Amino acid sequence: MAYIYYPGCASEATGKSNHISFEAVAHALGLELAGEIPDWNCCGATLVANAIGDFAQMALACRNLALAEKKGHDIIVACSSCYLNLAWPNELMRINPEFGKKLNEALGAANLSYSGKLKIKHVVDVLANEIGVERIKERTIKPLNGLKVACYSGCQTVRALRRPDFDDVEYPQVMGRIVEAVGAEAVDFPLAARCCGGSQQFANPELIYDLTGKVLDSAAAAGADVIVTTCPMCAMNTDVFQEKIGKLNKKKYKMPVLFLTQLMGVAFDLKPKDLAFGYNIVSPYGKLKKYGVKK
Amino acid sequence: MTADKGTSRYDPTFARELSKMENGEYVSQCMQCGLCVVTCPARHLMDLQPRKYFKAIQAGDKDKVLKANTPWLCTSCNLCTVRCPRGIPIIDFMHGMKKYLADTKGAKVTPGALFSKTFFDNMISRGRLWEAFLTGMFYLKAGPKAMRDAMKMTDVAIPMVMKRRLPPLPGKAVKGKKDLKKIYKKASALAKEGH
Ligand code: SF4
Ligand code: SF4
Repeated sequence: MAYIYYPGCASEATGKSNHISFEAVAHALGLELAGEIPDWNCCGATLVANAIGDFAQMALACRNLALAEKKGHDIIVACSSCYLNLAWPNELMRINPEFGKKLNEALGAANLSYSGKLKIKHVVDVLANEIGVERIKERTIKPLNGLKVACYSGCQTVRALRRPDFDDVEYPQVMGRIVEAVGAEAVDFPLAARCCGGSQQFANPELIYDLTGKVLDSAAAAGADVIVTTCPMCAMNTDVFQEKIGKLNKKKYKMPVLFLTQLMGVAFDLKPKDLAFGYNIVSPYGKLKKYGVKK
Repeated sequence: MTADKGTSRYDPTFARELSKMENGEYVSQCMQCGLCVVTCPARHLMDLQPRKYFKAIQAGDKDKVLKANTPWLCTSCNLCTVRCPRGIPIIDFMHGMKKYLADTKGAKVTPGALFSKTFFDNMISRGRLWEAFLTGMFYLKAGPKAMRDAMKMTDVAIPMVMKRRLPPLPGKAVKGKKDLKKIYKKASALAKEGH
């Protein structure tokens, strides 16, 4: 059955290329989507709970689940932080009926309710475990032979639910399977699940410079040509802040940061506008020229 | 450790008070193994690493806890939470602690508190985030020193605007904004009741 899509706020700004390339890749793989959750709202990211507490943030995020349930579809999420914020309360409802009751009381204030029965899936999970690497291999027209990729899982994707059937929380591998299915090489990247500093760019910038710098160093030391992620926050810190961090560390990283679906789109030979490389800060064209990507 | 001029700096009611805040009940379960410390990517910038922070709470060292920057440097990376052998949801505790500090008179107003609050204001008034506005508001509210910090970020901001990753104009607002306010009010009341 078709998934309904939760784009999240980053899809309108810093993570636009994640959103655009996801829709294109979904289409190319024949993944049926039932549109966006109508009138979806912000999930609260990693910040709202700090101001209003966990429960109130979860209640606000769960308005989206109630709206999706009205449409009768399970949810697919392309952003890591949104995934945590939607999937975790959903999981809590399953393990703690008291929580579900309280949550419904809060939703009830807006005449909404949610049964807890939907599945909430991250794009990577659906790609690797439902569509499967065989199908991705079949769809690959231009295999990315010779491209060395650092698969940057980051924090939230694998650690949101700690589901071993999705991926290992300490040593994530699933994204690598997808990257290899399109012909590229997933390099051994020790900091694949290490934090980039998250949303602390403005409140504690030195933390971002430090943590993201370590991630960039690790990817470079692993011999990666590009970093691939599904998290808009990881992408922002490693891409947008790369030059600044390079100056601080006296290094020239020159490490393009692609969303996973952008990379897949190259191998699927999708149209340039679907690959959305116009939003990338560190230019990906040099590294991707031999796979037919032009400005 | 020296006590302040005769009076004990340890407040035995403090741990109890904190255990009543949202997700505060877990601190007493910490067995001081230190795994969260070796895990935490931000530990070297924290005044007190997570383990010591929990110890200070358990001991009722209120002053030290209220001054420490620990929760504000927590990035919500979730790694300590999946590793803690006592199953303490440390990330959830940190959220609760940040709210507690933001609501407590006398605790320092940190940039992290201000950023979180500004984010929430933006989310609840529009339903969706408008990142350019959020960033601008944050620096505006943070005062003159922050404006200097903001100037240091122009090298990052300019390419973002050029590449259309920070649209200066907002996207669509959510039609159900009023519903969000209702849910927020009710949920806040329920969260208080439960603790
Ligand atoms: S890992 Fe858990 S039990 Fe160990 S010190 Fe940290 S909070 Fe305490
Ligand atoms: S969730 Fe916070 S306290 Fe825990 S390891 Fe990550 S940054 Fe450190």
